[in-house]
Amino acid sequence: MKSQDYRTSLKPVWCAGCGDYGVLKGLTQALADLDIPPERLAIISGIGCSSRMVGYLDAYSFNTLHGRALPIATGLKVSRPELTTVVVGGDGDGFSIGMGHIPAAVRRNVDMTYAVLDNGIYGLTKGQASPTTATDFKIEHGLSGVDDQPLNPVLMLLSMGCGFVARTHAGNLKHLRAMFKEAIEYPGFAFIHTLAGCATYQSKAYAHEIQQRCDILPGDYDPADFMAAIRAAQEDRFKLGVIYRREPVGVPVSELPVIADASAHAAAMEKYDEKGQDWVPGE
Amino acid sequence: LHVSTWERIKDSGVKSPGSKADSLVIAIVGSGGDGVALLGSLLLKMAADQGLYGMMVQSFGPQIRGGDSAVVLRISTEEVAYEGNEADLLLCFRLADLERFQISVRLHPESKVILEAAEEGELPARLRHRGMEIYRYPFRSFDENGVEMPSGPKNMMGLALICRALGWSDERVREIMQERFGKKPEVLKRNLEAFDRAWGAEGVARLPHLKGTGKPLIHESGNEAVARGAIRAGVRFFAGYPITPSSEIMETLIRELPAAGGRVVQAEDEIAAMGMVIGASFGGVPSMTATSGPGLSLMTEMMGLSSMAELPAVIVNAQRAGPATGMPSRTEQSDLFHAVFGGHGDFPRAVLGVFDVVHAYAVMYKAFYLAEKYQMPVTVLSDAYIAQRRQIHDPIDENRVPPQRRIWQEGDGPYRFEVADQDVVSPFRVPGTPGGTYMAAGIEHSAEGSPSAETNVHHQMNAKRFAKIPAVAAETGDWYRTLGRDDAHCGIITWGSQYGLLREWVGKHTDFRVFMPEILHPFPLEAFEKWRKGLRWTGVVELNYQGQFHHYLGGLTDMVGVHSLARSGGVHLKGSDISRMVAEAME
Repeated sequence: MKSQDYRTSLKPVWCAGCGDYGVLKGLTQALADLDIPPERLAIISGIGCSSRMVGYLDAYSFNTLHGRALPIATGLKVSRPELTTVVVGGDGDGFSIGMGHIPAAVRRNVDMTYAVLDNGIYGLTKGQASPTTATDFKIEHGLSGVDDQPLNPVLMLLSMGCGFVARTHAGNLKHLRAMFKEAIEYPGFAFIHTLAGCATYQSKAYAHEIQQRCDILPGDYDPADFMAAIRAAQEDRFKLGVIYRREPVGVPVSELPVIADASAHAAAMEKYDEKGQDWVPGE
Repeated sequence: LHVSTWERIKDSGVKSPGSKADSLVIAIVGSGGDGVALLGSLLLKMAADQGLYGMMVQSFGPQIRGGDSAVVLRISTEEVAYEGNEADLLLCFRLADLERFQISVRLHPESKVILEAAEEGELPARLRHRGMEIYRYPFRSFDENGVEMPSGPKNMMGLALICRALGWSDERVREIMQERFGKKPEVLKRNLEAFDRAWGAEGVARLPHLKGTGKPLIHESGNEAVARGAIRAGVRFFAGYPITPSSEIMETLIRELPAAGGRVVQAEDEIAAMGMVIGASFGGVPSMTATSGPGLSLMTEMMGLSSMAELPAVIVNAQRAGPATGMPSRTEQSDLFHAVFGGHGDFPRAVLGVFDVVHAYAVMYKAFYLAEKYQMPVTVLSDAYIAQRRQIHDPIDENRVPPQRRIWQEGDGPYRFEVADQDVVSPFRVPGTPGGTYMAAGIEHSAEGSPSAETNVHHQMNAKRFAKIPAVAAETGDWYRTLGRDDAHCGIITWGSQYGLLREWVGKHTDFRVFMPEILHPFPLEAFEKWRKGLRWTGVVELNYQGQFHHYLGGLTDMVGVHSLARSGGVHLKGSDISRMVAEAME
């Protein structure tokens, strides 16, 4: 599979210069690297600019409700463990309205990749403060919540006990592709904090500023060291890479048996498994 | 007609229907630690084992553990879905507790009453009928100085006295105790000692003997029946969140669904529970959740998603009383508006009502049938009265093939939401099927599945989705039950858990017939209009303050002159309540 094979004909509605373009590209490259057939791939999103991603990906995709992608992905993955499941959403979708689902999803540790495309703003509703909007920016733009401290997504996911926590940047395609690949391969709940600039509601220089604040983790960094991960998460500068990777625990959901007699999918899957991936419906 | 009917109603309800010779009502009242619930369950189990029918309801105080508690148990030679009006036998461990159950524990003038011997002094007014037989038994023990000593388990003494009253053998009790407490010899010994002490008592109450068929019957709660009915109907994924009075649906499925090849997730809240159901359904797996009012409120946005994205989902709502937190353990029929109309935007859905424990099997099958066939949410309205009762019934051996979703195949067309001629649903695309990838969405989308904000597309897609409703109505026109004589002049329209009570009530009040929809939305209107021809008086009976069912019917048909007989929930309606409400409305 080539990366463009994972694209639908739908044209993105994102603004010119939006970081989400880079994520779309890097994600499709990672999918191609892993050679996942589109019909075995489920991409689930919430609501927001970045959640539009699912429409541009050729997969069984689902643009759900604001903040609710994780429960929907959980139900899908638990009942259809053979599907590769990726969840994408924004910082408002995940860390504000959908926050209650994150610790629960982390604790359940159902195999899926959860990428939060963090642009530090509500873009689709035109520029309100999100849980990750910087205090100075809120003061400067007269936004609500100047006393609310921006949250630290990586530190939060680590403290919740997430087994795989990575950070990447939409402007670094090579890195992003590698992070998505590793996260999708991780047999458990994997989180990627994906820095993605907003070209419209953040300042023009935002994407550049963010990129200037990023450092790739050094070669001798040990992602199995939880305390090192906590220190990396607390740094002012954004550390890019796999910040924490715990050895997988228990039986991953992906290895659970298929629910054989569930009426709807049984027939289709039976044919699929008999004839392999070349099967064309109706044969 | 009205006057004569009113006279008969006014005089009725005194000794019916629990006092028939072929049916006995037993009430047991106690405090925390008395083990009233266990005693009731053992009696019900013993009845079922010997082929007797029956039903048990429980009433608790607000305490989490302990506190006052009452069970009303009816044993009958015929299947019953109502625990009866007045108790033929009352066992009360402490008189002070009885006063808290004025409505749920009622007596007739010839009830037999067993009281604690140590409770002296004047009896409360309701125990002072001349025809009543009062028995006393020393459940509590005292030493020679009058200081109370630890006594054995009172419920086991009560069990002995009630078994003797019923003329049941002690053999079976000993077997059951062995099964239940065999692993705890200390407990078994204590229980048997207490049982034996009371078994030897003299001057015990006697009730008419009821003869069972000898063929063991099933006994289960409404929640258990809903869960088991769902498994038979093909559910293979369940997600839920604990909530009174529906939690046992999830608990039963946690125990029983994996063996049927399915999975259960206890979600972090009801929004997530419904989300998981939709996710599993998107995967092609028949899915459901169960909740009560507050949970249904949280699931409402997701119900819209299920309908919009055309993903089947079954939602069981065991209704409780009141808005917000309300009265969690009490029953009411006040979520009808919510189930039928709740949620933003226009979206099709179906709503079914459960009549009783046995009916839960049929209704769950029908719910999955509609959800899977029409790719939309189906809400099943149960309530605390059905959910928490235990009912004895015949084994259910009917094994229907679970409903099948129509699966997309080549030749069905390239787009997920297009509809072939003379069809109302689009074939479902199962993830995993090559060539079938598409985007499901809560955002408005065209038949091709692309997001759209066009008025025309929105209108066309609304029409496409709502075409399911007349199609459902066309095949559910006979999803209702009627009770009573076809030529009765007075009519009662009601729904859900009023079934068991009304079935008996119209047997005594032959001027009345009853119409009960099994499907509340879309409503079987044609059958209803036909049924109500020739009625001279009609009332809508329901357990909620606003008269939601009466209002709802008013939006469907002419309800001028039809009386609303509604009261708030809490305690469910009894036969005497129906008589009184009808009499008041006729006055």
